[in-house]
Amino acid sequence: MELTKNITLGVYLPGRSFIHNLDPRTKILAAAGIIVLLLFTRSYSAFALSAIFIGALVSLSGIPTGYALRGLKPMLPVLAIMWVFQLFLFKTPDATVYFHWWIFEATDAGLHMGNLIILRVLFLFTVTTFLTLTTSVVSLTDGLESLLKPLRMIGLPSQELVMTLVIALRFVLILAEELEKIIKAQMARGVAFDRGNFIQKTRKIFPVFLPLFIGAFKRAEELIVAMDARSYTGGKGRTKMKTLHMGRADFMAALILLAYGGLLIFIIISTKPMI
Amino acid sequence: MEKLIETTNLTYFYRSGTKDQVKALYNVNMNVFQGEILAITGQNGSGKSTLARHFNALLTPGQGEVFVKGLSTVSKENIPEIRKIIGMVFQNPDNQLVSSIVEEDIAFGPENLGLPQPEIIERVNWALHTLGLEELRNEPPHNLSEGQKQQVAIAGVLAMKPECIVLDEPTAHLDPRGRRELLESAIHLNREEGITIVLLTHFMNEVIHCDRMIVMENGSVKMEGPPGSIFCRSKEVKKTGLDFPIAAQIGDGLRREGFDIKPGIIHTEDLIASLCQLKS
Repeated sequence: MELTKNITLGVYLPGRSFIHNLDPRTKILAAAGIIVLLLFTRSYSAFALSAIFIGALVSLSGIPTGYALRGLKPMLPVLAIMWVFQLFLFKTPDATVYFHWWIFEATDAGLHMGNLIILRVLFLFTVTTFLTLTTSVVSLTDGLESLLKPLRMIGLPSQELVMTLVIALRFVLILAEELEKIIKAQMARGVAFDRGNFIQKTRKIFPVFLPLFIGAFKRAEELIVAMDARSYTGGKGRTKMKTLHMGRADFMAALILLAYGGLLIFIIISTKPMI
Repeated sequence: MEKLIETTNLTYFYRSGTKDQVKALYNVNMNVFQGEILAITGQNGSGKSTLARHFNALLTPGQGEVFVKGLSTVSKENIPEIRKIIGMVFQNPDNQLVSSIVEEDIAFGPENLGLPQPEIIERVNWALHTLGLEELRNEPPHNLSEGQKQQVAIAGVLAMKPECIVLDEPTAHLDPRGRRELLESAIHLNREEGITIVLLTHFMNEVIHCDRMIVMENGSVKMEGPPGSIFCRSKEVKKTGLDFPIAAQIGDGLRREGFDIKPGIIHTEDLIASLCQLKS
């Protein structure tokens, strides 16, 4: 039971590339823009363009392609099952039937639908992973705080929300360590977590989480007192040690993204969708 | 000496599950003087932590009053100013660090004060430098030892430039080396930066480095004075259940054996010196 070793939240690969040095706000907005465009992408040629563009970004960042895609491995079986489901279950009235068995029919419509869904998941995953690979958690939260700031006007406590996120990120590892300790303590007293059927195993988890929650609340209380003692009174009146600055690189990145977006929209409009 | 903190007839009750009002502090009259290192000791539950939390208005008196540089902690308008004067470091470093990067955590306090950016950067650099933490600037706290985390917690308070830092059993989770380094830091801050230190502790070898000590028992101040004179009153100290510093223990034992060792020796070096005198 080595929990802390397996937690790679927001895996960040430090580097000095053009992409790494961009303002986090540029990267967050770009990722959001690319994802929105992906949801409208329905043709193979548009996906091909996206693949070339994202591939170019990855190679520009200097992150090994294999590393960027490594996280996909555990998802592959699920993706395969999704693809098979779409292949046999998605139908349109005028679809060509490739293969027929009992009540199952594999059609060209199903094939394309399967492909579409898998491509979308693949691209979504790659874009978000790429964002966290090139941006540290701290600059991500800084960027988020700055982007959400205007929403204060409509009453969203953006700074407090981001502070909550910052604290949550800090405590993930601490709580994982604590969970590990509790599990080990219970194993020492004879609980066999790896024995029994699924239901029996699940049952053994509850006595683990109860002390974890109690511990978490105790920590929260101490943290509140400590923050109080350090004059925290919410986001109002706070200043920041680091402020973000957009530079020429960000301007160039925006231009490139706009060009890509325009081209992609043109292709989306002018080509026949796969389904 | 000028009084930095003054409590007058401070009494504090809290509610617990079974009893309605549990007395945590009763009629406490004590002072913290500007520029001193004050140790507050006592058994668990003697009320030392409760007392310390009154110093920066985390708790407010049930009866009596607490003044920080003449500002009463009872009136709410004084609280921001009081918290600027009195910084506080707690027992568990993990539960008081906010950010996932050391320098950002140290900046947390100054950011809360709404200081301009250049000043925040200057203070963070100063705090890192004063405690010798420059190399850890960009580390995440979970890569640090407990002792280093506690030093970062002190740096976070120091960056707010308080006049007094209250350390609430800061060494309880540390190994002997971490304890020694933390005590050295506290002494350094007092001697070099002129910061008043209030140290809550169970360890008598920490107490002997303090200018003055207070022994708490059942929510009241039992003894007060310089450590040397407190440990002379060995019967009273024993009654409160406290330990003795190693030099005092040995000195006491030797005196009972009939050796001519003066009472009130608490530093090991002093004991060795007087033992050498016996020989010559």
